[in-house]
Amino acid sequence: MNEQHCQPTRPTPHRRWDRARTPSLRHRPTALALPWLAATALLVGIPLIGSAWLAFTDYYGFGAPSFTGLDNWHRLATDETFWHSLANSAKIAAIAIPLRTALAIGCALLLHRRSSMNSAARTAVFLPSIIPDAAWALLWLWLLNPLYGPLPLTLEAFGLPSPGWFTDPAAAQGGLALVASLQMGEGFLVALAARRLLPGSLHEAAAMEGAGRIFTFRRITLPLMAPILTLLALRDVVLLLHTTFIPALLITAGEPHSATLVAPLYVYRRAFLYGELGYASTLSITLLITAAAVAAAQLIVLHRTRLLELL
Amino acid sequence: MGIAIHGAHKAYRSRRKQPIAALTEVDLHVARGELMVVVGPSGSGKSTLLRATAGLEALDAGRIEIGGRDVTTAAPGDRDISLVFQDYALFPHLTVAENIAFGQRARGVPKTQITTDVAQAATMLGLTAALARYPRELSGGERQRVALARAMIRRPKAFLLDEPLASLDPDLRLRTRAEIRELQRRLGVSMLYVTHDQTEALALGDRIAVVRAGRIEQVGTPDELYSRPSTAFIARFIGTLPMNLLPPEALGRENGPVTGIRPERTHLAHAGHGHLTGRIAAVEPSGEETVLHVVCPDTTRILVRVPSSDGVPRPGSETGITWSNADEHHFASAEGPRTA
Repeated sequence: MNEQHCQPTRPTPHRRWDRARTPSLRHRPTALALPWLAATALLVGIPLIGSAWLAFTDYYGFGAPSFTGLDNWHRLATDETFWHSLANSAKIAAIAIPLRTALAIGCALLLHRRSSMNSAARTAVFLPSIIPDAAWALLWLWLLNPLYGPLPLTLEAFGLPSPGWFTDPAAAQGGLALVASLQMGEGFLVALAARRLLPGSLHEAAAMEGAGRIFTFRRITLPLMAPILTLLALRDVVLLLHTTFIPALLITAGEPHSATLVAPLYVYRRAFLYGELGYASTLSITLLITAAAVAAAQLIVLHRTRLLELL
Repeated sequence: MGIAIHGAHKAYRSRRKQPIAALTEVDLHVARGELMVVVGPSGSGKSTLLRATAGLEALDAGRIEIGGRDVTTAAPGDRDISLVFQDYALFPHLTVAENIAFGQRARGVPKTQITTDVAQAATMLGLTAALARYPRELSGGERQRVALARAMIRRPKAFLLDEPLASLDPDLRLRTRAEIRELQRRLGVSMLYVTHDQTEALALGDRIAVVRAGRIEQVGTPDELYSRPSTAFIARFIGTLPMNLLPPEALGRENGPVTGIRPERTHLAHAGHGHLTGRIAAVEPSGEETVLHVVCPDTTRILVRVPSSDGVPRPGSETGITWSNADEHHFASAEGPRTA
């Protein structure tokens, strides 16, 4: 898989005339990334620095922020609601990440062959990811409604109990994880591409050697796709700290018993319900550090297990 | 019986839904312990034949037997055959030992047995030192041998090889060719070996099947193919230099068959003497021998191979060409069947 190492062409000093003729951009990919980097600095970097500063202040949106030193951080340490919301986020992510990864790879393996049926099915799998998040959330508000929602009604028709999506804390968390999991279109596309990149002869060789479907999946397909799937899961950790915000706000409003009060929803409430922009910044920065720490830990594990070398 | 293919037929559908025949009425019998080379230009259907034998592609019609058992509808893994892929298809995330053992593990062979088998296969192919390494750490020749080891570990009834030397350096190709031949003899298995290279076919095959446009044109020993090609196509395809095919007009006849004469059976004569006279257009020395391109007045080009020691004539000069009539071949047309 990684036999072809491309050597980058480096301009040599004695070929300076060459540089004059060809645009220098060709030799400097960073130059091409400059507009994007500039926009990122402007739209993300500067607000981030501002937010980091606000994290050490009291600020209510009016007047000037007043510097309060570590006061916000002392408050954070004892803010049980925040730690509870972070735990909620972690629980939902713990359900959603394996589910999303499994769905993405499962659909990719089922639908990677070219046919018109598969083509339609691939579109269907991707569709939830291009529906605006708010519309998607409101759709589920209807789907899960215990009185007239199609999902509880269907379960009822089969004589099955409805898990109480809006009343039982664990079911509500599961419901949110489900809502977030079906929007795995991008992961599905990446898994699809990864599956198609595997040389066909590997699976033919496995078939020649008498390997069954499960053995081939366990010993060939999964290990060869593992690096990409791991990267997907890694990205999902960061993603799920944020994407649960909209369904938690629109479907469950953080209830029942604050079970779906996810970390970004709590930050949102602190900032815009209570107007505590300074403290909300403290919470945001904490969330950012948490996400970065989790991602770093995963990367370390990845490098230890040398999974990425297979890419 | 090794491999028997009866009336194999396979067509693909093009983008315009036109069926394109990849195999038409192919019959091929590979005896037990025989090395059969299937040779043909690219797109001739030889790979389709191999893949159908392996079970990777289904035939539209026909029957395949391996070791006397009808395997036409059997899964690739249930045919008791091994396939060595052109790109070797080694599993990049498994070590050499794991690659070789893959089939045995898939079949649930006991671990101790696998260890013994892997060690034996590795010894046979000189891979013992490489067992713990990964495919990416191996040279091309070593990868080739791992593919062979993986194919032979379960002692199948037949081996299929798809252009196994295509991605090797020329000198390695020569050595590996001999190693494959030796391995096949030692194991005493039937081998179906696909290549587009007629030199490889002549060097390796007990018998050779020449495939063209989905049909087998001739099956025979290397000597039969060389000395009695059944079509003008084979006459040109088999041999280091293609056979010269001369239309009747070139020999001053009104009509009649196309005359074939091998470059190595022609001799130079004085201009105006012999069968033909022409101008030497190019001279290609190749050590012991020299190949001359001679253009006749009617624009027919003829290759002449002469010993370099005879003194090489200059390009541009006129020369006569002669040969023994016993060395002539006759074909109905420039692509057609043999008439005498």
